[in-house]
Amino acid sequence: MRNAFLSALLGACCIAWSGIQVGQAQTAETVPVTERSIKAAYLCKFAGYVEWPDARIHAAKPLTIGVLESSEMADELIRITAGRLINDRPVQVRRVTGGDSLAGLHVLFVGAHEPERLDELLLPARKLPILTVTESAGALSDGSIINFTIDRERVRFEVSLPAAERSRLKLSSRLLAVAQRVQRTPES
Amino acid sequence: MIPLHASIHRKMLVVMLATAAFALLLTAAAMLYYDLRSFRQLWVTDLTAQADIIGFAATPAIEFEDRQAAADYLESLKGKPSIIAAAIYSANGSRFAAYTATGGKAVEFPALPALDGYSVKGNELDLFKRIVSGQEILGTVYIKAQFDMFGRLLKYLGIVGAVMALSLLASLLIARRMQQKVTQPILEIAGVARTVMDKRDFSSRASKTTEDEIGVLVDAFNGMLAEIEHVIDERKRTQSALEDSESRLLELNAELEQRVEARTAQLAAANKDLEGFSYSVSHDLRAPIRAIGGFAVLLGEDHQTELGEEAKRKISIIRSEAARMGQLIDDLLAFSRLGRKALEPSDLDMAEMANNVYVRLDHADPSRTVDFRPGSMPHAWGDRALFEQVWMNLLSNAIKFSAKKKQPVIEIGGISAENEHVYFVRDNGAGFDSRYQAKLFGVFQRLHREEEFPGTGVGLALVHRIVTRHGGRVWADGKPDEGATFHFSLPKEASDGGV
Repeated sequence: MRNAFLSALLGACCIAWSGIQVGQAQTAETVPVTERSIKAAYLCKFAGYVEWPDARIHAAKPLTIGVLESSEMADELIRITAGRLINDRPVQVRRVTGGDSLAGLHVLFVGAHEPERLDELLLPARKLPILTVTESAGALSDGSIINFTIDRERVRFEVSLPAAERSRLKLSSRLLAVAQRVQRTPES
Repeated sequence: MIPLHASIHRKMLVVMLATAAFALLLTAAAMLYYDLRSFRQLWVTDLTAQADIIGFAATPAIEFEDRQAAADYLESLKGKPSIIAAAIYSANGSRFAAYTATGGKAVEFPALPALDGYSVKGNELDLFKRIVSGQEILGTVYIKAQFDMFGRLLKYLGIVGAVMALSLLASLLIARRMQQKVTQPILEIAGVARTVMDKRDFSSRASKTTEDEIGVLVDAFNGMLAEIEHVIDERKRTQSALEDSESRLLELNAELEQRVEARTAQLAAANKDLEGFSYSVSHDLRAPIRAIGGFAVLLGEDHQTELGEEAKRKISIIRSEAARMGQLIDDLLAFSRLGRKALEPSDLDMAEMANNVYVRLDHADPSRTVDFRPGSMPHAWGDRALFEQVWMNLLSNAIKFSAKKKQPVIEIGGISAENEHVYFVRDNGAGFDSRYQAKLFGVFQRLHREEEFPGTGVGLALVHRIVTRHGGRVWADGKPDEGATFHFSLPKEASDGGV
């Protein structure tokens, strides 16, 4: 039941733009609904609730999503964002490896890692206006802005406002309303 | 609606309030009509906006599959009692979150969301509104609401009622204050008019305070009062003058009457004196004339042998003249007595009386053959003896003056006119010249010579006196040698009160 729902949601997410009727939840693309695919869809959607600094200047440029050392996620993202606009901008997916320059990225997804490694990976993004998204428990304390969690078999996420502030990103309150947890003060 | 006797004050107030109330009612009705008509559209717009807001707020909840958050958003509809149910459908058409108003009945949600729009069933409205983010359709908001037309109407009427009550109160206060300007002058005129009517005081005047139509009314009213005052003065003057002249006239009349009475009394006294004089003269004359007649007889009889024929003739003349004088005096006495004697009236059968008198006269000289033609006559009311005298005189006159005709005709009769009975005696005798008619009824007045027709000249005068004493008239007409007709009339109602 839950799987069916997720599948429908994902499917609708990806195909609604092409003008197919709502409600006629077609599952033509028989992609198995996985945690990965849900996270990929969420990743696309986060961009709709985030305001980057100098957004107007960069409005014409494609929204760039960097994927650090997670080729699965990169593949999935490329698949679902093909020819798709987010915030009226085309989407570009860039595979990134540790030590690469992060300049020009809007979103950076970092796969599951040990906290020490994560901290290290996120460090370069800290001073940049990059929405960092992780999927490791306690990643917020490592400087991540949004961190995926699993709550009773459901993919959810938690948000760190201090981290967002540090990166000069503004997160929509509507996004915060559906977050599992919002961290509002810097963790000691 | 307004009692006729109500004061103009109240009438104006009622008119103003009625106008205000009518205008308010009309406005309220128009507004109500418009509102009820546009209410649904407005309501649908409002609900659509509501759906949009929910959709917008719930977008992240759908996108991130947070049913609890979506349900929380729907829960905010609690504040709208007209919404009995709502739901959010996800993009694939399944119900994502639902809301049912507390206390409301169980609602059957549509299995699948419909296109944008609304449908009305009875007083229930189903509204669908897509949730669109960018170009993506994320889901649909469904709202089921209930029209509360009646409640709205009630509320509306309540407001209208309150507004009307307030504005009527305000109009009442304003009208009270403002109408005084209009009614005050009218009430003043009315007050003056009442004073004029009650006290009959036409000297009071209304004071003019405005220059409008009421001012004109005041002027006209005052002008009328002045006119009436003037007319009344005039009339009073005329009346007093009239009364003066009337009293003077009355005085004069009384004086005149007094004078007439005095004169009448004098006249009556003189008349009485005259009658007494003539009676006593006649009475006293009778004795010497009898003596003369008697002694003439004695002279003729006692000295028959000594007297010559001529002396005898002269003595006989003395005798006959004395006899004539005696007769004259008797007649005069009868005439005079008539004035002194009281009437004794009774019902008289005039026809019978006239016939009896004629028969008596006829027997006196049977040699004559008169064609006597008695006619019918109405009864009369009068003194029997006096009317026998009247018939006697008139019939003997007729016999006397027709005696020289070959065939004397005497006709008598009577008719009833409107107010009087008229009787006549007609003969075909000597007649008379109508020029002397006035002389006919005078005492000692004669139209014929003594040798032609003997008589003393008292007869007709007596008739005249008797008839006039009974309130009637006497007249005659005739021509010489063609006869005469004597008429006398008597009133139907006797002058002395008898019938």
